[in-house]
Amino acid sequence: MSSQILATKLYIPASRLGSVPRPRLTERLNVSLHGNLTLISAPAGFGKTTLIAEWINAHEHPTAWLSLDEGDSDPNRFLIYIIAALQNIAPELGTGILNLLQAPQPPAIDTLLTPLLNEMAAIPHKAVLVLDDYHVLDSQEIDAAMAFLIDNQPPQLHLVITTREDPPLPLARLRARGQLTELRAADLRFRADEAAIFLNQAMGLALSSEDVEALEQRTEGWIVGLQLAALSMQGQQDTHQFIQSFTGSHHFVLDYLIEEVLNLQPSHIQDFLLKTSILDHMCGPLCDAILQDASQSGAATLESIRQANLFLIPLDNERRWYRYHHLFGDLLRKRLGQSTQIEVNMLHNRASAWYEANGFELEAFQHAIASNDIERAERLIESQGTPLYLRGIVKPILYWLESLPHHILDAHPSLWIAYASTLLLAGQHTSVEQKLNEAENALQNVGLDDTVQDIMGRIASMRATLAVIQNDAEAMISHSNDALARLHPENLPSRIAAQWTLGYAYQLQGNHRLARNAYKEVLQFSESGEKSFYFIVATISLGQLQELDNQLHQASESYLSAIALSSEPSHPIASEAFLGLARINYQWNDLESAQEYGQQCHELLQRMEHTDTTASYKIFLAYLHLSKSDFTSASDDLDEAEAFVRQNNFMFRMPDIVEAQVRVLIHRGDLTTALQLAETHNLSISQARIYLAQENASRALQILVPFIQEAKERELQNEVLKGLVLQAVVYKALNQQDTALEVLDESLALAKHGGFIRIFVDEGMLMKELLSEAVAQKMSPTYSQKLLMAFESNSGAEPSLASQALIDPLSERELEVLRLVAEGLSNREVSKRLFVALDTVKGHNRNIYQKLQVKRRTEAVARARELGLI
Amino acid sequence: MANTQNQAQPTQYHIRLQGYLDSEWVDWFGGVTITLLDDGTTLLICQIVDQSALHGLLRQIRDLGLRLISVNSVHDSQL
Repeated sequence: MSSQILATKLYIPASRLGSVPRPRLTERLNVSLHGNLTLISAPAGFGKTTLIAEWINAHEHPTAWLSLDEGDSDPNRFLIYIIAALQNIAPELGTGILNLLQAPQPPAIDTLLTPLLNEMAAIPHKAVLVLDDYHVLDSQEIDAAMAFLIDNQPPQLHLVITTREDPPLPLARLRARGQLTELRAADLRFRADEAAIFLNQAMGLALSSEDVEALEQRTEGWIVGLQLAALSMQGQQDTHQFIQSFTGSHHFVLDYLIEEVLNLQPSHIQDFLLKTSILDHMCGPLCDAILQDASQSGAATLESIRQANLFLIPLDNERRWYRYHHLFGDLLRKRLGQSTQIEVNMLHNRASAWYEANGFELEAFQHAIASNDIERAERLIESQGTPLYLRGIVKPILYWLESLPHHILDAHPSLWIAYASTLLLAGQHTSVEQKLNEAENALQNVGLDDTVQDIMGRIASMRATLAVIQNDAEAMISHSNDALARLHPENLPSRIAAQWTLGYAYQLQGNHRLARNAYKEVLQFSESGEKSFYFIVATISLGQLQELDNQLHQASESYLSAIALSSEPSHPIASEAFLGLARINYQWNDLESAQEYGQQCHELLQRMEHTDTTASYKIFLAYLHLSKSDFTSASDDLDEAEAFVRQNNFMFRMPDIVEAQVRVLIHRGDLTTALQLAETHNLSISQARIYLAQENASRALQILVPFIQEAKERELQNEVLKGLVLQAVVYKALNQQDTALEVLDESLALAKHGGFIRIFVDEGMLMKELLSEAVAQKMSPTYSQKLLMAFESNSGAEPSLASQALIDPLSERELEVLRLVAEGLSNREVSKRLFVALDTVKGHNRNIYQKLQVKRRTEAVARARELGLI
Repeated sequence: MANTQNQAQPTQYHIRLQGYLDSEWVDWFGGVTITLLDDGTTLLICQIVDQSALHGLLRQIRDLGLRLISVNSVHDSQL
């Protein structure tokens, strides 16, 4: 899905032979473990990484290591790598979060931090997390995430940060609490005694103490300077002379020494060093591709460079991947700068080609930009059907596009599209339309071939997506249709997105048939490829339509399969599916299951920024509270829902809120306010309900008749059902007994298949009386009987149609459990299949055994078959 | 002074560094003028488009481990 994880970034640098022991520093590090954070803050070349690596390799605490690079400024990628690093300590840690992050539309990272912290807190032992080179990050989002992690850091995790500049983290607070250990340049620099050990023992020189002191002063203990000086002196006869001229020079230490070091190397090594300096990481084959010199092997040259101590750092145990010390790399690149730009571009181009051939998309892209090869970069962004930015690489592309001059983008209109897409994915909605306009302008004078048509199609598709954000159904439909007419038949990702948007728009407009067709197209398209984000979304959308068409069993199936398709833990989008299940189980009068699904919806919602699902969830809660006659809580739920909707501008959810508010107000007898609200939002059923409460049933009827008529014409099945149920009650209130029963009969026919219960029970006493008469007249006798019994025990398990033979019949939910048990599923499997807790399943089992008067699973299944229950 | 900076008109900055930089760094820093001063410091004279360009340059200086002595915009540098 997304670019592969580079294991080299997680590699703890190996101890080097002949390194200088630094007990004064390692002792401070040992003590630091009692605090939260160790900060190693010093300029380049002070041995920060070496110190930590040596210390880690010497102590026994499990360590997660992450070497950061600029690409990690993408918060998503950063978190992916943090988890990958932590998996070196705890292999299962964060697997679910990782799946979410690698999904095409990952949730915002701040919503994932609490789950991540919880998993960190479960690490059973002391552990160290090292973030090496934190200064390369340039992201306030990441700084905020790190500050949050530090504030809530589990005690067993110790954080080590190495950096060239103090990070914007709450250092002062940690310092004040004694939670911070700092090692800075003054601590890290080599003292004279350490310099002597380094030069004379590790580097095998034989310098007088005056010479050592002179070098130590000239370099000010700067380790990289001492190291270069040592390399310059290796093999030289007159080291004293060298030191004299070095210390007498005003030149920048590195400028002076790099010349000396390079000039000591044979010319093919110099050439190798300079050309491979364009690489952040290198391995033998990659170096071969850069040099294109059959006479030397990249792998062998790398090994000889490492042995010569030329600042080459192994990145794995196999000695496959290496990098230059950053400072050394910079010096080499400065020297390479003397070559022509064309030569340097060519080297980047070779690197890009190698990375592409070996499946490193991000690196291939970055070298393509470095070589100024716009066409290549453009092709890499668009590669393999699904553009790079839809595969999790957003920020690097956005930064590059921001840096390009206008006329370059105009010459490559698909880059304008990429620009708009990356802005959209980065949540910067307001600038998207402008980029789309630029794309259109750029296309004005181009012939309309297939490619251009496809680009126009993608412009339209993105406008449709923008319309979703604005909840503008008409704009969604026109842009989606435009997109589908223009998009290339094989551009499936864009076609699927446009198709879904179309379905969503029709759903908003209440045109269920067209909406359903569109969603089915999405599912069909997706069959051929991977089960994408849209596959899950379309499955949920279909469930919602089935719900609206009174097909509760089918809807339940859709929601369950959507949940199964979204990973574990579920993608937050599954919150919609859990909410659907909650509503359905409410209808089935299984309030316990409804509450449980609602809770799961609620938990997922914590991980989403703002979505109207939050309002729908609160409305569901209100109905649940109403069913328990808890009017105060219901009223609170609805107040919260209303505040949320107003705050986030989801006003299209207001009618649903008002519909429930009206029920609360009627109970309180505040019919004036109720009527005002219902009229403002043009809610026919609510108005009718209020007139009924005012004992003005004929007025209620005047409203309901045309409402039901219109709902029938528009095939809004659930509206028809709601209208008929209320209409039956209204006729009952008018004492038109026969008509009431006729209408009730019609509504029972509509509701029976879906197993609706609450829609009748929630109407109260008049409905109860009406149902008794229906039973007496043998009208849908079993169903009416079942509904009537639901009135009797207005909570808990409800009788099922099939279980008439039992004194205490099985509930729908218990039957569901029993069917799964009969299929041979274990309790755990049943709990997974139904997405409920194991204890809940066990509870259901106890009830089933008791009702069937058996003691074992096998007996229960046999008895149920005997009774024809399954 | 700083807030009168106009994006279209680059500001000249004088940056002093400890030690002598060789002339190869001219391109590295993107077209600066390098002057070696008698007191053993290097003066970089550069045209800076905006604040983020200035910070980018300072980051390059940081990454080379150079010791930064002073940064002045050309108005201030007359002090």
